[in-house]
Amino acid sequence: MYEYDAFDDAFVRARVAQFRNQVERRLSGALTEEEFRPLRLMNGLYLQLHAYMLRVAIPYGTLTGRQMRQLAHIADQWDRGYGHFTTRQNIQFNWPKLKDVPDMLEALADVGMHAIQTSGNCVRNVTADHFAGAAADEIEDPRPWAELLRQWSTDHPEFQFLPRKFKIAITGSPRDRAVTRAHDIGLRMLNEDGAAGFEVSIGGGLGRTPMVGKVLRPFLPVADLLPYVEAILSTYNLLGRRDNKYKARIKIAVHEHGIEEIRRLVEARFSELRPLFGGGDQVRLAEIRTHFAPPVFESRSDDGFEAARRSDPVFRAWTDTNLSPHRQPGHAIVTVSLKAHGAVPGDVTSAQMRLLAGLAERYSHDDLRISHEQNVILPHVHKADLPALHAALLGAGLGTANVGLISDIIACPGMDYCALATARSIPVAQAIAQRFDALKLEHEIGPLKLKISGCINACGHHHVGHIGILGLDRAGVENYQITLGGDGTERTVLGERAGPGFSAEELLPALERLIAAYLEHREGPEETFLMAFRRLGAAPFKAALYPREARNAA
Amino acid sequence: MRHDPGGARIAELNARYRHHAGIRVLEHALTDPLVGRIALVSSFGAESVVLLHMLSVIDRSVPVLFVDTQMLFPETLAYQSEVAAALGLMDLRTIRARPEALAARDSEGLLHRQDPDACCALRKAEPLERALAGFDGWITGRKRFQAQTRAGIEFFESDGPRIKVNPLAHWAAQDVQDYMINNRLPKHPLVARGYLSIGCAPCTSPVTAGEDARAGRWRGREKQECGIHFINGKPVRGPVPQQEEAEEKKVNVIVTEAGFAPDNHAGGFVPLEEWRGQGALDLPADCDPASLLGRLDGPGVIRIVFGSFTDGRGFTVARRLRMMGYAGQLRASGPLIADQFPMALRSGFNEVEISPAQAERQPWAQWRASLDRPAAYQERLRASCEAQ
Amino acid sequence: MSKQVFSVVTANDLLGGHVVYLSPLGTWVPEVRDAELIPDIARARLRLEEVTDDASVVGVYLAEMLPGPDGPRPMHFREVFRAQGPSAHARVPEVRHV
Repeated sequence: MYEYDAFDDAFVRARVAQFRNQVERRLSGALTEEEFRPLRLMNGLYLQLHAYMLRVAIPYGTLTGRQMRQLAHIADQWDRGYGHFTTRQNIQFNWPKLKDVPDMLEALADVGMHAIQTSGNCVRNVTADHFAGAAADEIEDPRPWAELLRQWSTDHPEFQFLPRKFKIAITGSPRDRAVTRAHDIGLRMLNEDGAAGFEVSIGGGLGRTPMVGKVLRPFLPVADLLPYVEAILSTYNLLGRRDNKYKARIKIAVHEHGIEEIRRLVEARFSELRPLFGGGDQVRLAEIRTHFAPPVFESRSDDGFEAARRSDPVFRAWTDTNLSPHRQPGHAIVTVSLKAHGAVPGDVTSAQMRLLAGLAERYSHDDLRISHEQNVILPHVHKADLPALHAALLGAGLGTANVGLISDIIACPGMDYCALATARSIPVAQAIAQRFDALKLEHEIGPLKLKISGCINACGHHHVGHIGILGLDRAGVENYQITLGGDGTERTVLGERAGPGFSAEELLPALERLIAAYLEHREGPEETFLMAFRRLGAAPFKAALYPREARNAA
Repeated sequence: MRHDPGGARIAELNARYRHHAGIRVLEHALTDPLVGRIALVSSFGAESVVLLHMLSVIDRSVPVLFVDTQMLFPETLAYQSEVAAALGLMDLRTIRARPEALAARDSEGLLHRQDPDACCALRKAEPLERALAGFDGWITGRKRFQAQTRAGIEFFESDGPRIKVNPLAHWAAQDVQDYMINNRLPKHPLVARGYLSIGCAPCTSPVTAGEDARAGRWRGREKQECGIHFINGKPVRGPVPQQEEAEEKKVNVIVTEAGFAPDNHAGGFVPLEEWRGQGALDLPADCDPASLLGRLDGPGVIRIVFGSFTDGRGFTVARRLRMMGYAGQLRASGPLIADQFPMALRSGFNEVEISPAQAERQPWAQWRASLDRPAAYQERLRASCEAQ
Repeated sequence: MSKQVFSVVTANDLLGGHVVYLSPLGTWVPEVRDAELIPDIARARLRLEEVTDDASVVGVYLAEMLPGPDGPRPMHFREVFRAQGPSAHARVPEVRHV
């Protein structure tokens, strides 16, 4: 795990002191709200619907037990005893007071964490595959690169006032679990003739103009990463539109100027910048890599695991959905569901955080991950420990066996918290999960990604949900549009809008009709919803959603 | 990229659209690459709804700038909300003077009595100029028939660095009325009470038959234009340019690592389009630094103008100039804040030029404090292997 | 456009961030029922102007409301949520420290 050196520590502490000073100047009137706003945003502090909200970065989604405990402490000390994991590997505290925020940042600095650049028009928290360093299908652990990018982008003098926010995601595996094609820059590690490189794509993003990223450089030697990314940012800073914030993201620049023109500008800029990197970055990288050395795995019998599977159906169901293959024999990657039926997706109480911290220390080499799907991952668990781990999770309401199923819903905070939202998402997610749990159908339905956004900005990634739900305000009433067939993996497909939206009351029955149609039309349990949609097209699903229109047309 | 707003382009545009109807001119202005990024500026006055309606038919997402001088009639504010909602305008931006500027220059709200020009500058011209910073052009509803001072306006005019588009330049008063009736557009409530041109409440009165429509604006004074409209690139603040008052202008403050100092740069800065290769050069933040390649020995001092403190292009321009080998003085000018001082210095600037008001609100101690921080990550990453 | 529009002036508290409303006494109060319900838009705009520079609050704006038995009643659901707090966590009591 990356641990701050003296340089990192001095840096974040100076930033805390600086923010403390900025808060004082805001209160004294030396800074207007207009001037203070970008400064507080640069430190992760929003003003939301009911209160301030502090967004803390969990770089590349990795936490130690000590860090998780500190988050629990912060939640208890300065907030209301819970936190919310987001779709970008951040945690949000929903009730901080402005005067307490410097103390909260200080507490974060104590465990090598910060909230720097979790908002504002700058390079945001760099996200990575949440199975990094554990997945069986990985070429290389991407996190040292992500950490290098974190250091490079932090406080970069040129890029604190970009046309708009800028998101980078990185994966070291050909299976894309980081939705890289929906990022301003997506980095996918490749191996060509034994040499490691990145496929660099740019201009992906969801939001009001969803676009799938385009490949800018099919193969970038790994050592060129920083100058190349700097060339992209430098080009974008001058080219990106500043007249309309809805057209300011790099995806619009790519759309308006064409990928060839952007490539020409970036490559020209890269050739100027490349010589300025004298190898210091590679020395840093080598040093960072030592922090991410794989743990020393034990080899012992996992007989207890199979025995427990045979004797305990609840445990067996959980192992069927919540485990993923680990690269080390005898081990598994455990996804802890934060989606108990009826719970708020992504919310954890301070007690749950402390429990997870202890379990990570005991069973997972002190390693925790936060996924963009708003779950917690214990990446390195020996199979023999799984029964005990499962029992501990069950006792804390964290043992739900639903990862990858219809109730494992991604949902943004929506209008319950967010100032930008146009409708609520959380109650919708709760109602759907409870309904399909009551029907006892979700294991029968099988793998299905359902994602809900409470506004067109698409923080809930609804465009890439197999079923996506978008909450809108239609003449003062909440209204929910359904999209179908989205896919956030390496093949990235944007879902298509099924038709007119539904009121909150109509939505659940409509989803039930949709699922019933899938169960009716599928060739067998091994054909997932997405596979059936690809085979059959949208028509039978639309007919199920809009039976009256279908009848009239017949 | 910025287009050259030179006379040739204006002439070409006017020739190209000479025989077009107003709505065609508007349509083309929104798409013609010669025009660039554009916004519509509207007062939501007596006739504004015509142009707004045309815009809403073509593209409701085009930015509409509404200057709220905070001296407007309540009827105008209500009408503005009504029209914006009825037409479904998607990007309406209300522009106001900064509270600190109002506090400093018109704390009583009575400036319009002693100096209407200064009041227009404070509440209208300056906020609008700031709001227009990101645009290559703007659309206005000015028409020839409105006043004698407007008799010569064309579809396209040059306006400093920008192009100004007047799609209704050739419309007659009756055209406006017909269009509003035919399209069932709501009328400004004050029109029925004799106001034919509507500005701020203190400086607008009704007009009588036979008068110019704009005769009720600044009645009893020489003033006919508010200063947001320019002729030959100069603000017009009367029928004939008055003799320039010897305005006592406070000197800007230069911030360097050594502290505050008055701006003693003499001789001014020459804008890029007029620059002849020698002497102090003014660069807008949206210029392409590559255009200066091979000419960087000339200036000796370059000033990069930031339109707003959130527009970070100037940082990249500065860094590129340095990378291209520019070794002279580099000045950032504009509403930068103390917290951006380290960014400016690390991007290659030597100094920052700020207004006296800004210097007063954010004194040197705050600028100095911003420098009090450890080394940056970038230096460490860009170092050579040996240095590590 | 004869529909009468009632408004209240609302904002967030600078220090705490919580929702506040302008009362008839010109003070900022946390409960919507204590807000001043202003019956005409021109006067509401004036009230808004008066408090725009108030340094104790952030993000001042006018919210449309209707008269109700217990004071102003929000018209739009967004204002209902602003007045009531998040639906999911209404049950979570605020943790207090001594």
